[in-house]
Amino acid sequence: MPAWLDLVVRVLIVIIVIFVAPLVIGQTEHKVMAHMQGRLGPMYAGAYHGWAQLVADAAKFIQKEDITPRAADRPVFKIAPVISMLPYMIVVLVIPLGPGGLVAQKLDIGLFFVLAVFGLGVIAVLMASWASANKFALMGGLRAAAQLLGYELPFVLAAASVAMAAGTLSLSGIVEAWRPWWLIWQLPALVVFFLAGLAEIRRTPFDMPIADSELVAGYLVEYTGLRYAFFMLAEYAGIFVISALTTVLFLGGWKGPFGLDTELGWLWTLIKIACVSFVVLWVRIAYPRLREDQLQRLCWLGLVPAALAQLVLTAGVKLAL
Amino acid sequence: MKGIGLAKGLAVTFKTMTRRSTTQQYPDVDPELPPRSRGVIAHIEENCTVCLLCARECPDWAITIESHKEEVIVPGAARARQRNVLDEFNIDFALCMYCGICVEVCPFGALHWSPEFEYAEYDLRDLVHSRDRLREWVMTVPPPPAHDRNGAGAKEEVVAEKALAAAAASAPSQVDACPNDGSGRI
Amino acid sequence: MTVADVLLITIGAVVLGSALLVVTTRHLVRAGLWLIVTLIGVAAAYLVLTAEMVAWVQILLYLGAVVVLLLFAVMLTRAPIGVSDDLNRPRWPGALVGLGAAGALGALLVNAYRWEKVELPEAGTAERIGEQVFQSWVLPFELVGLLLLAALIGAIVLSQPGDDSVSGRKK
Ligand code: SF4
Ligand code: SF4
Repeated sequence: MPAWLDLVVRVLIVIIVIFVAPLVIGQTEHKVMAHMQGRLGPMYAGAYHGWAQLVADAAKFIQKEDITPRAADRPVFKIAPVISMLPYMIVVLVIPLGPGGLVAQKLDIGLFFVLAVFGLGVIAVLMASWASANKFALMGGLRAAAQLLGYELPFVLAAASVAMAAGTLSLSGIVEAWRPWWLIWQLPALVVFFLAGLAEIRRTPFDMPIADSELVAGYLVEYTGLRYAFFMLAEYAGIFVISALTTVLFLGGWKGPFGLDTELGWLWTLIKIACVSFVVLWVRIAYPRLREDQLQRLCWLGLVPAALAQLVLTAGVKLAL
Repeated sequence: MKGIGLAKGLAVTFKTMTRRSTTQQYPDVDPELPPRSRGVIAHIEENCTVCLLCARECPDWAITIESHKEEVIVPGAARARQRNVLDEFNIDFALCMYCGICVEVCPFGALHWSPEFEYAEYDLRDLVHSRDRLREWVMTVPPPPAHDRNGAGAKEEVVAEKALAAAAASAPSQVDACPNDGSGRI
Repeated sequence: MTVADVLLITIGAVVLGSALLVVTTRHLVRAGLWLIVTLIGVAAAYLVLTAEMVAWVQILLYLGAVVVLLLFAVMLTRAPIGVSDDLNRPRWPGALVGLGAAGALGALLVNAYRWEKVELPEAGTAERIGEQVFQSWVLPFELVGLLLLAALIGAIVLSQPGDDSVSGRKK
């Protein structure tokens, strides 16, 4: 295969994944949330248990009028939804699905790349919130920025712990080095990473920037139709990315319980990603939203010290070995 | 212990997920309504004496009745009797709050609850159900539910059985009197 | 001209253009947004020069934290949408300082290398940077660490509420 064709195929796969995975997660959320609340959820679209609900939603979003408020900063307002998708797309480029070449793009310092790009999601939020010319939106944007600045720290520290344990910054390298007992050794880092990741994608229970009951929908308040759909897509793409990262960094990626890693690696990865995504949905359904001060308190008094302690532990065990 | 509530939250949601959901798929599957459901009020004209009690007691003034008097000449009687004849009987379900007072107050059993509830209209005025409409609902009134197994019997039954028992006691016979007073249990 | 040259020149043009927009635009928040483009351009330039690690650190720190903080601060002010007329931006002194600094730095660099051809060092991977920092440059690294620690402690002390003599403000 010539190099350019290889590249095109990979990019195409990534684009398909980044548009299909959020739909699958979103549909699962519809159903899981409904059943966890004793309901049935969508039942009509697509005839069989409403499997096509999100397709129908997309059709609806396309038909809606594209409204830009008169006071808005038009170009910034219009470009923000597209930018919100970009970081997650770029991150998916480097997540290894299986051993060998089953990775969209191999990177020597994949972890650093992922962490760097992942934090960019908030820029789209800031653009959207400011350009909307709406005080609810602005409040949402400020909260999002404050939240990101806080949670970036434990997020990076937890990832640093596992990189230290593996002795490499390459995502595939980390999976290679991973051993089952790391599940216990790196457990605090896993929890910190997962929670901070949820906070970074502004997912319930850390969705203070959106908080529909007090901020009406935060930075989304002025968006309609396709642009709104893009933000939603970005949120679910974020869930996919954070699940995939947790899987790759802490749950051993393509390593399965009984060998066959080379053949079935991609399946293990996908199963693990699905399980972590389920937990993301589950957490949303089980817990109420954290208040703004609780949110910051959890970050600075809970996650940051835990991440630092984990770093010390990792270093200690690493030296002892 | 701190944090146990978090685990409980997860457990409760997960348990609910494994159970059958309680959603009723209404337009596809008709709901099973209890017999005393307050859906719509049926009016049995033959029972109605136009006493106007229902119209007067209705807190919402939802019932309007029009009637006139007719003379009925009874052969052999000194004077002609008077009789109320019903002309109009309307219930405005846009006003009705389904309190059921009219059904309770009717002394002649002319008003009954029916569980039918699918009578939404595009025009508010169409919610006024006239005589004919109210008569149609009669067909949908379910038979009264069976008495509670452990409850007291219907008044008529109790009285009748008591009388029967008294008659049996006064006239010595082979009929075994019910030991516990025939309280009407079925 | 190699591909790298073309890329560098293009990126340089983008960086220069967006940097000019940062200082000339009359939209306050848009200046911050143009700064993002500038910094991404600089990161791309690092990438072309195979300094991967530095490029990603640039994105993580400057875009993920510094610019976000900057936008955050600007949004806390009255930053209007649209043109702000009361920007207090002295034009000539600013141009003078900017051009002077650029000219001096440029002259310095040109003078240092002239037309000497410098081979691209091996790729700036994490491993190489680690070796450099913790072997040849360990002393400056530790000093910088100490400086930052002092600043951190200073910030904590200054933000302590209640002690008027230190923070100089009322409760
Ligand atoms: S149910 Fe109550 S409100 Fe409705 S008509 Fe009867 S008395 Fe009036
Ligand atoms: S209370 Fe009963 S009998 Fe009297 S007017 Fe009303 S429906 Fe007829």
